[in-house]
Amino acid sequence: MRYQVVIAGFGGQGAVFLVKVLALCAGNKNIECLGTENHGMSQRGGAVSCFIKLGDFSNPVIDTYQADLLIGLEADEALRNMQYLKSGGIMAVNAEDDFPAADVYTDVARVDAFAKAKAGDFPIQGLNVYMLGVAARNDKNFPFTLEDLKEAITQMNAKVAAQNIEILEKGYANVME
Amino acid sequence: MKKTLMGNEAIALGLVHADVDMVSGYPGTPSSEILTTVQKLQKQQDLELYAQWATNEKVGFEVAYAGAIAGKRTAATMKQVGLNVASDALMSASYIGNLGGMLLVSADDPGFHSSQTEQDSRVFAKFAKIPVLDPATPQDAYDLTRYGVDLSQEFEIPVMLRPVMRVCHARQIVEVKSEHDFSPQKGEFQRDIPRWAGVPRAGRFKQGEQLLERVEKLERYNWEHLLKPEFDKCKGGRVLILAGGTGYGFAKEALEDMGIEADVVKVLMPYPLPVEKIKEQFADYEKVLVVEEPMPCIEEQVMDPKVHGRLDKTMHQIDEMSKVYIQEAMRKLGLYEGKDLYPANPFKEQIPARPPNLCPGCPHRDVYYSIMKVFKKKKSIYPSDIGCYTLGINQGAIDTVLCMGGSVSMASGFALADPDKYVVATIGDSTFFHGGIPPLINAVYQKHKFLLVVLDNSVVAMTGRQEPPQRQNKEVDIVKVAEGCGASTFEYVYDNDMNKTVDFFKRMKEEYDKADGPVVAVVREFCVLDKEKASEQLPGEFVTVNEDDCVACDQCTTVFNCPPMSYNEKDKIEIDPFLCVGCGACLNVVCPTDAFVLDEKRGK
Ligand SMILES: Cc1ncc(C[n+]2csc(CCOP(=O)(O)OP(=O)(O)O)c2C)c(N)n1
Ligand code: SF4
Ligand code: SF4
Repeated sequence: MRYQVVIAGFGGQGAVFLVKVLALCAGNKNIECLGTENHGMSQRGGAVSCFIKLGDFSNPVIDTYQADLLIGLEADEALRNMQYLKSGGIMAVNAEDDFPAADVYTDVARVDAFAKAKAGDFPIQGLNVYMLGVAARNDKNFPFTLEDLKEAITQMNAKVAAQNIEILEKGYANVME
Repeated sequence: MKKTLMGNEAIALGLVHADVDMVSGYPGTPSSEILTTVQKLQKQQDLELYAQWATNEKVGFEVAYAGAIAGKRTAATMKQVGLNVASDALMSASYIGNLGGMLLVSADDPGFHSSQTEQDSRVFAKFAKIPVLDPATPQDAYDLTRYGVDLSQEFEIPVMLRPVMRVCHARQIVEVKSEHDFSPQKGEFQRDIPRWAGVPRAGRFKQGEQLLERVEKLERYNWEHLLKPEFDKCKGGRVLILAGGTGYGFAKEALEDMGIEADVVKVLMPYPLPVEKIKEQFADYEKVLVVEEPMPCIEEQVMDPKVHGRLDKTMHQIDEMSKVYIQEAMRKLGLYEGKDLYPANPFKEQIPARPPNLCPGCPHRDVYYSIMKVFKKKKSIYPSDIGCYTLGINQGAIDTVLCMGGSVSMASGFALADPDKYVVATIGDSTFFHGGIPPLINAVYQKHKFLLVVLDNSVVAMTGRQEPPQRQNKEVDIVKVAEGCGASTFEYVYDNDMNKTVDFFKRMKEEYDKADGPVVAVVREFCVLDKEKASEQLPGEFVTVNEDDCVACDQCTTVFNCPPMSYNEKDKIEIDPFLCVGCGACLNVVCPTDAFVLDEKRGK
């Protein structure tokens, strides 16, 4: 199996947390994994992009036109990193309904997660996990099951796992046609 | 045992598994997590070891180096520009050598992700004539850390480990030793004056000859143990790829993508190279491509008409490695004629940049705002330095940035060159200790007139909030240091009432006008992300906007520039309640019409 994921957002959104979750899932399934995160300026609100490559790879960087999945924690950051997607890949993005999905050359699974957080559906800090749920549900090639993700989230930190799992499930409930 | 590790964690674990018990470094992305992970391991496993931040890289290097002279296994950690600072010590240490083992970890940052330069530490190792190891992955980083410490002890010379950002901040499932009985070596200094205190010319000349012999031995070792086994696996063909560090992984994947079979030799020790032996291998190939970053270190050593790489522009010249560069190199060499496998189809419109900014509530912002209010831009020069506070650039409050400590000496230079202007320099506390003290002494004794503002938040914020000297030991006090240097020194404890901060700088201006040398203002701040201090310092004064009063003058979004502030669809400023941390700083002075008011709903 080979599967490549780009996670794009800005500082403070917890992109790196998702890298760790996916790496744990891989470890649990005995799948090799190489990832890299660019967090130089992340704490000061700058753009953050993380790569994670599952399967037999020898370098952690994803080149343009290679990624199976892009998880966009914010609309602009998703568009900025769009070129990493291969044709036939999928973009799972947190964006409002004016998002220019027609100008993206792959399938798009769009959810306005900021609005949902503001409406009190889940705490804003859980936006990363929510979008992971959206991605996992809507990418038919996603290599892990909901149970796999829950297991990894529990391994990350058992104490706060219950809340994260609830948010993950809420994200997972978003089915796009 | 398998463990998911970041490269820097793998290096830290490698150090412990190599029985290194002295680690000394200075923070710098992407190297910082190495030392903090050693500290974590120390706590978790109750290890008896020394792992501390030094005041700068030269100090860090020298502490570790003396440990290795005394027979211990030691390490110094830093980022690549830090090696510039430590280089004076390194250049001599290579002549003198060590009895224990010393690993110098210098982390490179091809692509300028968080560094001022794209320099290559391997080239520095070659300059200093010490062996250097270049890991491709976190697994390599773990293995080569242990290997490097052994090598240093065997050859009695410091060994460099040079990971790049894509190794330091890569994550991989790494095979590590499951049990390790930590058994550090005993430190016992053996007096040997001709060696440890060799003086020019005779003493150092002899050491220079010994160094040349050592390098030759290392070349042979590199061939026997590292390169020959690699070349033995080769089959010959049209092209040989010599790959250093991450270049190996990129080359392997790119070749597979292109459907090309070719020999790829991983060069684990890019210096010193057994050049003749390597060139003998070229007979089996038409061409040789060197894939390495960010500078042509291997390539320069094996120069030959068959060799291509960065020197002849077959490979890219700047920015970090990417498979597309290898594809294009193969195309230039006539070895690939297929389609572009990595086409870039960016979004059709320009996407607004997202520049980093000071955090909401960061006291640095108030200080810059007040400086600009009092020392007007037209009549002032604002040299600054390197740290979070460099982001004052978003407020237009910074004119120059050079290297750590440079603000102080440059303030001297500007004061001499353009004496009609006010020179107001800003520097962080860690940066002041790192490189700001010698130039302050210089300015005092030569009477250079400027205001130096030390932004003391008592953390090394930019690199992840490591502890600076005064945090661990209150004896160290910036005010006393500046006074000791002979500068007239003033202290201001940050207050979220901007009127007070502006008043302080008005006073500083009066002092400046009277002074005949540098004036130092030490501002005691805190960092919003510093959990220990921020909770007691942030007053919970959340702010909202009285829309009727907002005249859309841009003051708050330009000169103050706190992230929660932006225009809404009615062209009035709005404060994002998710982002506002309730510092209350914008309640005074910032808005000319006082449109910012306390958000009664959130209370105090
Ligand atoms: C020679 C050198 N070493 C290390 C670094 C990495 N670095 C960048 S800023 C910084 C320290 C900043 O700390 P401080 O001066 O306290 O300012 P703050 O970030 O807290 O505002 C460091 C170590 C560097 N740029 N150059
Ligand atoms: S991390 Fe601390 S010092 Fe840096 S911008 Fe944020 S509050 Fe300011
Ligand atoms: S109170 Fe004002 S200055 Fe402080 S964080 Fe909120 S918006 Fe920024």
